[in-house]
Amino acid sequence: MSFFLQFMIDVLSLGGAYALMALGLVIVYGILRLVNFAYGELIMVAGYTMYLTSGSGLPWLVMAAVAVLMAIMAGIATDYIAFRPVRAKSVTAVLITSFAFSTLLQNAALLFISPRPRNVPLPEIFSETVQFAGVITPARNLITIATAVVMLGLFSWLMRHTVLGIAMRAAATNFTMARMLGVPANLIISSAFAISGLLAGVVSMLWIGRVGAVVPGVGLEPLLIAFIATVIGGMRSLQGAVLGGFLLAFMDITLNFTLPQDLLKFRDAFTFSLVILILLWRPQGLIRGPASGQRT
Amino acid sequence: MARNLTTIAVLSGLILVMVVATNLLGVRLFDRLAINLCISLVLVLGLQVFMGNSGILSFAHIGFMGIGAYTTAVLTIPVRMKGMSLPDLYPIVAGIELSPYVAILVGGLTAAAVAAVVSYPLMRLSDAAAVITSFALLVVLHTVMTHWSEVTNGPRTLFGLPRATDLNLAAGTAILAIVAAVAFKESRAGLLLRSSRDDEVAAGAMGAHIPRLRWQAFILSALFAGIGGALWGHFITSFSPKAFFLKETFVILGMLVIGGASTVTGAVFGAIIVTVTFESLRALEAGINQAKIFSEQVIGLTEIVLALAMIVVLVLRPGGLFATQEIGALLWRRARKKEDR
Amino acid sequence: MLEIAGLQVAYGAIRAVRDVSLTLAEGELVTLLGANGAGKSSTLMCIAGALPAAAGAIRLEGQDVTAARPEVMARRGVATVPETRDVFPDLTVDENLQLGAYTRRNDTKGVAEDRTRMFGMFPVLAERSSQPAGTLSGGEQQMLVIARAMMSRPRILLLDEPSLGLAPTIVNRIFEMIATLKGSGLTILLVEQNASKALEVADRAYVMRLGKIEAEGTAAEIAAATDLKALYLAG
Ligand SMILES: Nc1ncnc2c1ncn2[C@@H]1O[C@H](COP(=O)(O)OP(=O)(O)OP(=O)(O)O)[C@@H](O)[C@H]1O
Ligand SMILES: [Mg+2]
Repeated sequence: MSFFLQFMIDVLSLGGAYALMALGLVIVYGILRLVNFAYGELIMVAGYTMYLTSGSGLPWLVMAAVAVLMAIMAGIATDYIAFRPVRAKSVTAVLITSFAFSTLLQNAALLFISPRPRNVPLPEIFSETVQFAGVITPARNLITIATAVVMLGLFSWLMRHTVLGIAMRAAATNFTMARMLGVPANLIISSAFAISGLLAGVVSMLWIGRVGAVVPGVGLEPLLIAFIATVIGGMRSLQGAVLGGFLLAFMDITLNFTLPQDLLKFRDAFTFSLVILILLWRPQGLIRGPASGQRT
Repeated sequence: MARNLTTIAVLSGLILVMVVATNLLGVRLFDRLAINLCISLVLVLGLQVFMGNSGILSFAHIGFMGIGAYTTAVLTIPVRMKGMSLPDLYPIVAGIELSPYVAILVGGLTAAAVAAVVSYPLMRLSDAAAVITSFALLVVLHTVMTHWSEVTNGPRTLFGLPRATDLNLAAGTAILAIVAAVAFKESRAGLLLRSSRDDEVAAGAMGAHIPRLRWQAFILSALFAGIGGALWGHFITSFSPKAFFLKETFVILGMLVIGGASTVTGAVFGAIIVTVTFESLRALEAGINQAKIFSEQVIGLTEIVLALAMIVVLVLRPGGLFATQEIGALLWRRARKKEDR
Repeated sequence: MLEIAGLQVAYGAIRAVRDVSLTLAEGELVTLLGANGAGKSSTLMCIAGALPAAAGAIRLEGQDVTAARPEVMARRGVATVPETRDVFPDLTVDENLQLGAYTRRNDTKGVAEDRTRMFGMFPVLAERSSQPAGTLSGGEQQMLVIARAMMSRPRILLLDEPSLGLAPTIVNRIFEMIATLKGSGLTILLVEQNASKALEVADRAYVMRLGKIEAEGTAAEIAAATDLKALYLAG
């Protein structure tokens, strides 16, 4: 029983983080058909903001809020620098500019900060452990679960009950029709990037909180995780992305328990082969998203 | 035909001029730069063969470069050194020691063979699915390189490759690559593939089996990448899997995008421009670091410049410097105009 | 109210609209007729701002809107019902209507009133209000798209083949509805294949062929011109 509970906590906390990562990627992909390679760098930006503000003596929550804000700004910058100028051109061009923007941010961190890990401040509670019902777990895991629940709830409320959210869902299926109803394209695009940044910023606090340090390449793993979760969940479905995140966490943790050590190191090779197979079988991802749609 | 020959002549001529000049000058630094450039050329042309003709972005290319490099490493590291560089190597291959020239070819063929096997089903995908699968393929190849210790020495540096790549070999290969890239582009397969890039339905109606054509281009592209990787291995003589991942992908892609993916001329000029700029910036970085102007090492400047250049080119000149016409066609047109006058 | 002069629209090398000039006065119902591929939908989508004009000018109340983006046209009171019957399939009927009122989303009271009015006009939609729009039948979707367009309280309504693929009884309902809308003073540009029906409700008509306006006149004149019927009008 306590093993089961432990397992559930592990899956839910890892899955919660994965789900948020995937959601941040899919909100942009679903609406703009852009695979945003610079997504991982939004997480990096939030991490470095924490490092840079660490000497300020501000309460941790304030620093975290500033960091999330910076991730949002970086998201909007992605729109203005990498997306908007080339959006009318080819799909390939947009992919390449987002890849270039990712490299740009990473190397800016290398150049202006350092290639070496930098410590970020963590609140006390992140390093404490909690004991209940026969399980011992880091408090961080419970915080992650709680944050994921709150963020997913907030996100779902935004998408269902605000005009902006409804307009974004509409734009994901038929951007032109949404515009013909008066929904401004630029508002939708910037909102998608801003929400992506918000999710990345929050994930960053949880993700970087696991190790307490940030390096320029910190965004790669979350990006890869978001890719896999998104592909599992059907590349254009928001619910699918969340489900994909939890499924991936379940798979990862199960593999951790069951796979022998010398195969475990090939785990990425397995999961990415799985991604390829899924895409071959269903190029739209496992779960079908909105039926039709086109680019702007 | 004359135009294609002119293109080949001009582009190969550039390389020959560079070889002669380097030999006359006899400066070690230029030698290194010229070899680097020729190897980059082989890699970029490989990517051009696939991306330029099919119009599909591929991230997997550098993975095949890695396959070429590791294949030739296993086959050429002297038997007495293998105990040190590859302690866990399977006994069957441990006794092999081929000539690097043979092994470079085998490296290319191995990359092509792997590409042929894994890529066929991927070729019917397009758009985001194609991009993500190629990215996933790169991650798979990278993971295998990083962890298959028996063959690659794992994430650690693999050393002991004989230094076999000199300027003549690199330049010769680059010229062959130019000829092959032009020949493929102008072949029936290349023409059909290029028309599919603009209009998949119409090309299909002309009787083209598009996934098959893409597959052919992909295999050829992997052959280039494998040979390029093997050449590089015998130039640098020690490397680790890190050399075959996103950073390198970015550089090669940058060369192609800046030069113009649709033309061989673009690939060649992109490689030249980026290599020269890169080396200058690297020298600048090294100079700054040596002078200890800043407390931290200056790194990343080159990538930042390249990233900015790529974005600017894609915004202002989406097709790159040579967007549609090869240099041969451009020169002929100019000659024609002069006659008219 | 709306003036179009020398309009051209192209899809790459295909020139779908070669030369279209037409006018639409306030409160008028004008129909644009023509065979398949004549360029009617392209004309309409270009007016709506969803397609760029290759040449020519579009003026709305004297102001040039040739290059206006679709959201700007919507804000200026032009509502569009495209031929492709674009409901947002995963949004509920209610959400679809709510988006229709996007341009006046701050007028909550007025929007609520209009919603009730639309549900009065289309009782089916009221029954299905919390159902995803993708699950509606073709006719119901058509009603939803028209209702959605009306939610913005437009001054000009662009309607593209509202009768397409619908059963005759529903077609009749839709045309009754169009007549009601016209009665309320709305300016309407109606693209139709079903010429006889369209000419019954229209004030004036234009006939298009191969991207050009081939004939124009009052609805009665066009209806009476038998030569035109044989040439361009299907049905
Ligand atoms: N997206 C497109 N790409 C290329 N050509 C197009 C496109 N849309 C329409 N066309 C072409 O433009 C021409 C005019 O099309 P349009 O849809 O405007 O005609 P229409 O008069 O509305 O016909 P219908 O009565 O069948 O709806 C046609 O020849 C059509 O094939
Ligand atoms: Mg039409």
